[in-house]
Amino acid sequence: MLPSPSFREDLTNNLRAAYARMWVRLRGANRDPTALAAEIGLPILTIGAYVILYRAIGLPATAGAAVIVGGAMIAFWTNVLWNMSSQWFWEREQGNLEMYLVAPVSRMSILLGMAMGGSLNTAIRALGIVLLGIFAFQVPFLVRDPFSVGIVFVLTLAALYTLGMLFASLFMLYGREAWNTANLLQEPVYFLSGAYFPAIYAPIVPFGLQVAGSLIPMTIGLDAIRRLVIDGASIMAIWPHIVALIACILILFPLARRTLNYMESLGKKEGRLTLRWQ
Amino acid sequence: MAVADFLKSARESFRVGWKIESNWTDPVLFATYQIIRPLASLLIVAFIVIIGAAAGAAGSAFYTQYLAWLIVGTAFYAYVLQVMLGMAILVYVDRNRYEVLKNIYISPGTLHPYVIGRGLVSVVNGTISVILTLLFSVAIFNGLLHMNIPLNLLGVNLLMLIPAVLLGITALLGIGYMLCAVNIVSNRMEFILGDSVSGVFFLLGGVIFSISLLPAPVQYVSNVLPVTYFLNTVRESFGLPTPGNYMSNLAILGLTTLAALILGISVFRLAERRAKRLGLFDRKSEY
Repeated sequence: MLPSPSFREDLTNNLRAAYARMWVRLRGANRDPTALAAEIGLPILTIGAYVILYRAIGLPATAGAAVIVGGAMIAFWTNVLWNMSSQWFWEREQGNLEMYLVAPVSRMSILLGMAMGGSLNTAIRALGIVLLGIFAFQVPFLVRDPFSVGIVFVLTLAALYTLGMLFASLFMLYGREAWNTANLLQEPVYFLSGAYFPAIYAPIVPFGLQVAGSLIPMTIGLDAIRRLVIDGASIMAIWPHIVALIACILILFPLARRTLNYMESLGKKEGRLTLRWQ
Repeated sequence: MAVADFLKSARESFRVGWKIESNWTDPVLFATYQIIRPLASLLIVAFIVIIGAAAGAAGSAFYTQYLAWLIVGTAFYAYVLQVMLGMAILVYVDRNRYEVLKNIYISPGTLHPYVIGRGLVSVVNGTISVILTLLFSVAIFNGLLHMNIPLNLLGVNLLMLIPAVLLGITALLGIGYMLCAVNIVSNRMEFILGDSVSGVFFLLGGVIFSISLLPAPVQYVSNVLPVTYFLNTVRESFGLPTPGNYMSNLAILGLTTLAALILGISVFRLAERRAKRLGLFDRKSEY
């Protein structure tokens, strides 16, 4: 019988696995300049349409700035859906999932690596979207507290990618449903998160919609970021957002871990972990 | 290839495509899936207009009329989304995932009926989305929110609507042919192409605002897109104001459709020849 690894060895192995998965993601996503350019340029088409719509109905230029921030955050949501939630599906289709399952590391470290790589990749794209949006549409921003922007941004990503880990676990045994479910979670979340509205927590937006939207960490983070970078608010104005984001992380992370263990065990019992072409 | 054989192949392709698209879940969930995306897109723009009206940016008559215009444009844009996304991913799915493209290619007949059959699945999906979006829009905005939007679904002029939709769908299938062609000779565009082309149409096709609001040089591009005239003619059949008259819009839609078809089939044939020469029909890439 092999000796059990010490806690230190176990931790090192898991961190190395997370780093390795992150490296693959960074390398894979950035080696094709066409895809990088498209991922920055594509959202600008939709953002541009909404900015023009805002101008058409006579709303102030800050509404355009809100759309640009929303469009940049949507890049993260898309990444969470297609490169976190559906990832076990892609891995199974390509025959990699069984390798992850037999590796002597926690599956959570693989997901952590995906999340770190995905968030770094998308941050590059989101920055490109914001800069291109500002250049193309000349919208005003007012940042008085960049430190708070950084804190809220990191917390939003942590909450969002933890949700991605939970979805990845839930999607683990999906076949074509993974593809369709990821598709299904795009536009409704764009709507509920208020990504293309000037503000989701405005009196004109129905309360039920605000509550439904608040179940998505991106809604909370996006609203806080908009207040900080468009209205020039300070941390005092967005502390409830920070508390809510921390609560999201504390709830979603253990939930993702438990769900992953459950789905893996279910997949083993039903023999669905290596099933392809469903 | 005889017409009967062509139609038979297209029908079988449609049947397979429909099963792939729809049998992953039960019919109720599938119908929900078909409605949620376009409805969410519609609600985004509708809320923007409502927020604009609440901010006093426009008069109430303007925004109810504008909402009707927006609802019809967004509902029929579902055809664009479905056909572009469906046909852009088709080659990837059958070459990489199911690994059957080479078998289809060497079977009697050509890829053409196969592509058309699969494109028609997207058209059926689009039709379901359009009908459900229109019904839900009227139910939500007029029934639930009592906004009195001037949109009478029973008063639509079918003699104007049907030719517009048929021509519009044909144009979209022609463009979809081009997307398939690009994917046959490329292995990196499948996830970008459909979104890119539908994004261009969303911005330049007059979906959520009139193309007269675009910068003048960009309007030249809008003026050669079949989607612009497709939406114009469709809106006219609903009695909504559009630039030009119905017949001139329909005539230009016919011309741009013809151009899209000729271009689509020519590009597809070129890609087919190149793929055969370079052995691309069974090229599999995982990256």
